[in-house]
Amino acid sequence: MGQGQSGGLPRPGPPGDKKAEEKKEKKYEPAAPPTRVGRKQRKQKGPEAAARLPVVTPATKCKLRLLKLERVKDYLLMEEEFVTNQERLKPQEDKNEEDRSKVDDLRGSPMSVGTLEEIIDENHAIVSSSVGPEYYVNILSFVDKDQLEPGCAILMHNKVLSVVGILQDEVDPMVSVMKVEKAPLESYADIGGLDPQIQEIKEAVELPLTHPELYEDIGIKPPKGVILYGEPGTGKTLLAKAVANSTSATFLRVVGSELIQKYLGDGPKLVRELFRVADELSPSIVFIDEIDAVGTKRYDAHSGGEREIQRTMLELLNQLDGFDARGDVKVILATNRIESLDPALLRPGRIDRKIEFPLPDIKTRRRIFQIHTSRMTLADDVNLEEFVMTKDEFSGADIKAICTEAGLLALRERRMKVTQVDFKKAKEKVMYKKKEGVPEGLYM
Amino acid sequence: MAPDPKENGSGVDRMDHDKQPAPNKSAQKDGKKKKDEKKEEDLSEEDAALKEQLELYVERVNDQNPGVQKMALESMRQEIRTATSSMTSVPKPLKFLRPHYRTLKGYYETMQIDELKMLLADIISVLALTMSEENERESLHYRLLGTVGDIGSWGHEYVRNLAGEIGVEFQQRQNEKPVDDLMDLVKQIVPFHVKHNAEPEAVDLLMEVESLELLIGYIDKGNYKRTCSYLTSFSSYMPEPDDILVLDVAYQIYRKFGKYPDAMRVALRMDNIQYVKSTFKDCTDFLEKQQLCYILARQGVSLDLDDASLASEDQKEALQEIISNSRLSEGYLTLARDLDVMEPKVPEDIYKAHLVDGRASAGASVDSARQNLAATFVNALVNAGFGQDKLMTATNLESSAGSSASNWLFKNKEHGKASAAASLGLIVLWDVDGGLPQVDKYFYSNDNHVIAGALLAVGIVNCGVRNECDPAYALLYESVNKEDSTIRIGAIMGLGLAYAGSQKEEVLELLTPIVTDSKVSVDVAGFAAVSLGLIYVGSCNEEVAQSILHALMERSENELGEPMARFLCHGLGLLYLGKQDDVDATMEVAKTLNPKISQYLQVTLDACAYAGTGNVLKVQRLLGLCADHLDKGESHQAPAVVGIALVAMAEELGLEMAIRSLEHLLQYGEQNIRRAVPLALGILSVSNPRIAVMDTLSRLSHDSDAEVAMAATMSLGLIGAGTNNARIAGMLRNLSSYYYKDPSLLFCVRIAQGLVHMGKGLLTLNPYHSDRFLLSNVALAGVVTFLVGCLDMKSIILGKYHYVLYYLVLAMQPRMLITVDQDLKPLSVPVRVGQAVDVVGQAGRPKTITGFQTHTTPVLLATGDRAELATEKYIPLSSVLEGFVILKPNPDYQHDHLSS
Repeated sequence: MGQGQSGGLPRPGPPGDKKAEEKKEKKYEPAAPPTRVGRKQRKQKGPEAAARLPVVTPATKCKLRLLKLERVKDYLLMEEEFVTNQERLKPQEDKNEEDRSKVDDLRGSPMSVGTLEEIIDENHAIVSSSVGPEYYVNILSFVDKDQLEPGCAILMHNKVLSVVGILQDEVDPMVSVMKVEKAPLESYADIGGLDPQIQEIKEAVELPLTHPELYEDIGIKPPKGVILYGEPGTGKTLLAKAVANSTSATFLRVVGSELIQKYLGDGPKLVRELFRVADELSPSIVFIDEIDAVGTKRYDAHSGGEREIQRTMLELLNQLDGFDARGDVKVILATNRIESLDPALLRPGRIDRKIEFPLPDIKTRRRIFQIHTSRMTLADDVNLEEFVMTKDEFSGADIKAICTEAGLLALRERRMKVTQVDFKKAKEKVMYKKKEGVPEGLYM
Repeated sequence: MAPDPKENGSGVDRMDHDKQPAPNKSAQKDGKKKKDEKKEEDLSEEDAALKEQLELYVERVNDQNPGVQKMALESMRQEIRTATSSMTSVPKPLKFLRPHYRTLKGYYETMQIDELKMLLADIISVLALTMSEENERESLHYRLLGTVGDIGSWGHEYVRNLAGEIGVEFQQRQNEKPVDDLMDLVKQIVPFHVKHNAEPEAVDLLMEVESLELLIGYIDKGNYKRTCSYLTSFSSYMPEPDDILVLDVAYQIYRKFGKYPDAMRVALRMDNIQYVKSTFKDCTDFLEKQQLCYILARQGVSLDLDDASLASEDQKEALQEIISNSRLSEGYLTLARDLDVMEPKVPEDIYKAHLVDGRASAGASVDSARQNLAATFVNALVNAGFGQDKLMTATNLESSAGSSASNWLFKNKEHGKASAAASLGLIVLWDVDGGLPQVDKYFYSNDNHVIAGALLAVGIVNCGVRNECDPAYALLYESVNKEDSTIRIGAIMGLGLAYAGSQKEEVLELLTPIVTDSKVSVDVAGFAAVSLGLIYVGSCNEEVAQSILHALMERSENELGEPMARFLCHGLGLLYLGKQDDVDATMEVAKTLNPKISQYLQVTLDACAYAGTGNVLKVQRLLGLCADHLDKGESHQAPAVVGIALVAMAEELGLEMAIRSLEHLLQYGEQNIRRAVPLALGILSVSNPRIAVMDTLSRLSHDSDAEVAMAATMSLGLIGAGTNNARIAGMLRNLSSYYYKDPSLLFCVRIAQGLVHMGKGLLTLNPYHSDRFLLSNVALAGVVTFLVGCLDMKSIILGKYHYVLYYLVLAMQPRMLITVDQDLKPLSVPVRVGQAVDVVGQAGRPKTITGFQTHTTPVLLATGDRAELATEKYIPLSSVLEGFVILKPNPDYQHDHLSS
């Protein structure tokens, strides 16, 4: 039926595949029909599905696995040998070049960008460009029809508007900026204390990605995610940075507030995008800082904005443990108000481990002080023990603030060394600010 | 006072943050150790106390007083054993002892008392786990010096490490030093592994030290299943002599626990007739014996029952009946009745022309003889084994007697009539008693083609079924030496089909003269060679080999150029199917033959001999052959391509990788290779419609080269054979409208449609069965013979030898599961059928199937499906639920009142 209708085009189709082929061969052969004309793009993970290697079971380290992997390797070597031989005998590049230029001729340039509205049959579709009306046009034979889906962005010939290419559905730019391209400088060594926390996060996040077979050996599913909670300044974000520093997995970081968008539906969409990208780039770790921005308990909200935030959270719930299985995506959440989070978010299966970050004890405090002062030039009279042993409640961030403040005080007096007095003043100042203006020691 | 921040900040625990539980003895360790020492002040009180304690012990080890020394060693040992570690770090005592490793080693040298020395060696051995340099194997060294005792108490990690070191040490010591001390250790480790659910590791270790047979002693009732499944899946990846060794051990273990059906399966896999016999003989339970017979019948092994210790003549008869497959037809019809598909179908039901665009029906008039031939085949395939159809047998049912059947027969022309008459054989497949009378009437025809077809039909009916009267031989042997070559071919093919795999000597005597006689036309000789190859498939029979080689030498170059000369080569290849090295002598002879055929023969021999072995080197060689770009006229590349598929189909992994390799062949290959690639894909996933293969074939079926398109179309039929796969059916419908003007391609499309709906979707062509563990040689031979026919589509399938298609009968088997009770009457029980999961080497008792549905037997099993009983009421006698399975009531079964 497609053949019959093509005559009724608003503009005649391009010479396209049909005429070109007819010239070459007497017999007309329509292009092979697509294997599928569908709504949804087939989900393909990573590179092309066909090029993927078969899964090797069992995951346990054993000789069977070794032999299987060797078998795969043997075949790959053979493929390599064959292809290199063939390339030597009969280089394909020229031919490819020729084909490519032919395709380019057919495409014409410039090409206009439009949207695919509807696929009518194997090689016809209704398209629209951003300005004008919709057109019924040809789809050229070299366009991969499996990739076409209604609503996707396409390239159109500049005159006849036939579909000549597909613009791959690009990742939402909002998501692509979340990807941590450059690993942060903070490593595990920069964390004072927090040994149990580090161990827990490693077991839950890193080991499942690097050594899945350990979990299979025991017969458990590795945890999907962890939540880090604790007082402000206790190192939650720092630990996440250290994880990003040490892992080779893709690290996506988001701040909860980023997920709140201006338009209805954008927030959930962003969450979906985020996890889709994470899945594509898996193994990956998603870190959502300040999750309380979207994850607060649900209540009868009256304003549209609040409802939208709740919907964003619902999407997040679904992504964490919904119908579709997540592969190698681990989630780290961080908050300092765990009690205000929605219980659904924290249930096991979504977030399996809750890691508390307490205020540092004396030993940890000492280490944090050492970390921060190690690059400072200290006068001989500085006795850090005095600050370490104090009864005040410092967080890691406070200690850093004290050190910085002391340094600034020294700078102010144009000294090259930081003295004990500087530290004392700095401590008072920091504590004063922390205790909302009540000078330290007033009531002691 | 200004230490390096990193060094300072990192806690002791996190020293190992890059360290996985498996201790890696990297060189950095030493550097880290130094850091460790610096940060003593960072330790918490308990840690510090522990450290101090340990240091004290280390001191005391060097004490003068043996009592103190002993105390210290004992306590140190206590500390290490009780330490719990997390997954991410090294246990604390080990960490604190690390700086003293060298000290302790020093003490060891100076120590006097043997008993203490051994204790110390134990501790050093454990420490070496984290400390010793790569390739030093100090852990093992000190283990050998240490106490002989319970190594398991030092933890799993330690034992695992030790096992690894033993493997390396054993390799190095080989043939130079005795390995007795190592073996003693192995004998301690293996029971430990076996006891702790780590059978794979026990097997690995024993493989490393080349004494797998020790395993048999350690396996108990609780874990033999896991071990054997590991061993059997292991064997597919082992190089040649070792795989038999592994299977042998699996066989012994099964025997040890009296699992005769499983033992039988392994014996069949090993192709060890001795084992088959002894298993059969030793099995005392009559029911179980019957089950063994079912397994043997499925594999197509004929066993002489006389020497099997049997109680009575009745029993022997019962077993004979099972092993000769006489109940196959009955079971198949039971299945069909249960699924309500007895109603015969006509080709139009398959073509579903109403779903195709209008233009197809308009072009139906083109070459109607060929269309009728296609309809004949489709009709035969679709109604295969049902005993009734609407074209050939309708007369029996309808009152308008006589007219319709003979009418349809004579709607075909000449050689078409042969196929038409033979199609009757396919319709009454396996039903010897009921089928032969129906075929009988065609013997009195005065048309030679019809007689030939009838002879062929006799062969088809008897295919895979043995009857005590042996009617096939009686009916066929006279016609083999008739004048007319059509009749001769019919009879020869019939014999080949009826006695495939049986090694029947009478047929050998009958056919050898035909093969060697150079006056006989090449096609007759070719079919005779294939028939001999089928009858003696995989037997390396010297006599047959000689006669075929003789024929190949005698024939002139012209004759060898004929398409049917390939069948001579192929017949020879079948003799060596899967026999690997045994082909070498013949291969040498093949090299001396006429260059016209020599190369082709060599490739065929290679491909056949290594079929189903997964031998990577052979794949490489065959792939190498395909890499050349040859001048026209050389034909050996096509069998090489098919050969890759044959060799690689042995296991899943190779199969998938071979599919990838074939992609490259498509990309770079010349036309003659491209033509064979679809066929190779077809055999790789025969009766297994994988989406990826389907897409590739669908693409190729629109190829501009007609032969590639034909081969791809046929292969679409092959991969969908007997599945009723709607997707392939849709593709083929589209192809039928696409090629409505091209009679040859349309013929292929029709055949493919017939294949997809073969036996109304109850049959399979897959030569692998029993959970993809066993390969039926006969079935494989059938499929390969058909493919050889397809390699030269124009002159064979589309020419006058289209009845080559009937070779597929050899591979046809119902893809069913029928459960029978103790009296072998069908018994309906609920079963779960789902996608099989590879659970080899997994912890615990994982599910073996996924996405299952519960049905009641009899049920259909698709490729890759597995069934398990959904009721506790019965116990199946075979662990693999396929084909016929005998159930016996479970004595422990208690009726659950809650679930009605």
